[in-house]
Amino acid sequence: MAAAAKRSARQEPPQIVRSLRRASRALAVPIGSVLLAFAAGAVIVAVTGGDPVKAYEALLCGGFGLFCFGGEPSVLQLSNTLVFLTPLIMAGIAVALPFRAGMFNIGAEGQLIMGAILATTVGIHLAGWPVFVLLPVVLIAGALGGALWGGIVGVLKATTGAHEVVTTIMLNFVAQWFLRFLIIGGPLQLPGGSSKSSPIGASAQLATLVPHDSRIFLGLPGAVYRAHTGIFVALAAAAVFAFLLWRTSLGYEIRAVGQSQRAARYAGISVRKTLIVSMLIAGAFAGLAGAVQIAGVDHNLTDQYFTDTTGFDAIAVALLGFNSAVGILLSSILFGALHGGGSVMQSDAGVSGSLVYVLQALILFSIAANFLRSVKLRLPALGRLPASPEAEVASSALAEESDTALASDDKDTA
Amino acid sequence: MNFFADLFSLLGTSGLWHSSLQYAALLLLPALGGVISERSGVVNIAMEGMMLTGAFFGVAADLALHNVFLAVLAAMLTGGLMAAIHAVVSIRFRADQIVSGVAINIFAGGITVFLINRLYGLSDVGYVPSHDTLPNLNVPLLSNIPFVGAIFFKQNIMVYVALLVLVATQIVLFRTRLGLRIRAVGEHPQAADTAGINVYVLRYGAVIMSGLLSGLAGAFLSIGLANTFVPGMTDGRGYIALAAMIFGKWTPIGAFVATLIFGFGQAIYDANSSIHVSPYLLSMTPYLLTLVVLAAVVRRSSPPAADGIPYVPGAE
Repeated sequence: MAAAAKRSARQEPPQIVRSLRRASRALAVPIGSVLLAFAAGAVIVAVTGGDPVKAYEALLCGGFGLFCFGGEPSVLQLSNTLVFLTPLIMAGIAVALPFRAGMFNIGAEGQLIMGAILATTVGIHLAGWPVFVLLPVVLIAGALGGALWGGIVGVLKATTGAHEVVTTIMLNFVAQWFLRFLIIGGPLQLPGGSSKSSPIGASAQLATLVPHDSRIFLGLPGAVYRAHTGIFVALAAAAVFAFLLWRTSLGYEIRAVGQSQRAARYAGISVRKTLIVSMLIAGAFAGLAGAVQIAGVDHNLTDQYFTDTTGFDAIAVALLGFNSAVGILLSSILFGALHGGGSVMQSDAGVSGSLVYVLQALILFSIAANFLRSVKLRLPALGRLPASPEAEVASSALAEESDTALASDDKDTA
Repeated sequence: MNFFADLFSLLGTSGLWHSSLQYAALLLLPALGGVISERSGVVNIAMEGMMLTGAFFGVAADLALHNVFLAVLAAMLTGGLMAAIHAVVSIRFRADQIVSGVAINIFAGGITVFLINRLYGLSDVGYVPSHDTLPNLNVPLLSNIPFVGAIFFKQNIMVYVALLVLVATQIVLFRTRLGLRIRAVGEHPQAADTAGINVYVLRYGAVIMSGLLSGLAGAFLSIGLANTFVPGMTDGRGYIALAAMIFGKWTPIGAFVATLIFGFGQAIYDANSSIHVSPYLLSMTPYLLTLVVLAAVVRRSSPPAADGIPYVPGAE
């Protein structure tokens, strides 16, 4: 009976089994990498005299509202995680899209800041406009600010061959200093305030999921839940990204250029135009993240943006998500939960919240180096069939893309 | 223009030039590390993280051991350890070197704060007593020369060290067999391998060297200038060093010229109270300059041919 079922399964596995296999194959490497990173993190905690089990319990509590033995309200933790993951989705797309075109956007942070700056400026100066006009304008302004910053990178890359890694790093700093200039004694500074801008108008703000005027929600005042409707903007952005990448000719061109600039050129695709456009769009996504952050939670520019790391966290998000929309959503949940859980870990388990960054770096190492492949770790159920194209492409895309990108740069500039 | 009048009077002070050279030396060490690493064919954007690690362990060792020599050693070794991670991940595992660099920088930022919280509670690290810091060194006689003496010969000991490392790097890279081999490995590893050169050993050595130098710069920053550790205290200096390396077209002398320009910018920033312009706008200038240089002269300054490409024996 079992043998017969096995045989028939081998001949014609039902659809559900096949899709499950595909899914597990695609998830094996990222999940394995994350587990490896957490194991290494546990060693670091243990070696420095902490309790890894307690630390990770607190992290789960702060991230997902699970195992909250200290009595923390679970829904509040989920709300915080949602706040963290919302900008990560859009910034993750800003890193993933150029990856697809063979470029490494380390500049999502600068693009996000420029988006936040423009969104705040609009939100302050047009505060009198009605919400259904102003809110879209604020978000578009943010996207434009980011697109400007990303566009500079694309134009420099396409016209002079200036490597995007260097230009994005430089532009990150320019954006940061520009922000300092604006809000410390500059034109956007809140009169009488220090290191922050005036708040945007009420009609420029995204509504929170729990109305702030609701007195009590699940035992807590409604105002403590910061999760906001920006999550729907982020989900829409992910849908747009997936559609753009797989259902439009531009997406096809981006992927073609990412695979091989030379082949794309022979196919009649303008490589330069594609590089510029993909950086413009990527910048727009990052700028949108900044605008949503302003309109949804912060409502004004503060010195927090000097030390904001969303644009760098987005690199980990994109890589762990293999530059796909679904992957970015899933890895944003993970990293959002990590950042949400960090403070709980610090207060409940006495383990420094900055362990979150250590974990994030370890995940990056693990993904980039693909330690799993090197140690020949194989899940028996997954080892039999030839790899599905998605998983194969995903695992090798990064290394190959950047190699060809660097190599072809040299050819282009030579 | 008020600005130019202020600027010119500032240019006449030896203090401005003194701190220009001092900041240049601080950037020079990691920049030279970057030159060495990338000349061997390994992209290194992780000088920031290595410097930060060195800065932290320099202070931690100094506070624990009260010995500045051992503190510097600790800073160099920990910077070198971070570089070794970068080397293993990008050479042995052939990972994307930029991803690895980003990871090193995130890791350094996280682990230093993690260790502060572990070692010193949630409070500050505290100050290193001045007798345990890197001393200033007044060169006898020469330091008495008016104006010039104050600029060149009353510097922190690390400034002289940085200049010595500069000379040594220039000589080793371009006047010795070792340097020729490092450059060969970075330009055409297959050919170098065929000629019997061990590509891996040279690349490991070059990357770790960049970590040692970045760690040294971290010590200069934390126990030579600030005398304490503050989270994220490198504040982008590793990235400016990276810019200096590119600005200087992957040569030690070129990188030095670039660090002088950036150091001058930092000195002007420090003295901003005497010139009336936003220090924040001024701070953008090194980065804008680098962008302009990249846009204008990049065609004539390309990185080593095999920079960033993992070496796979037998692959073409």
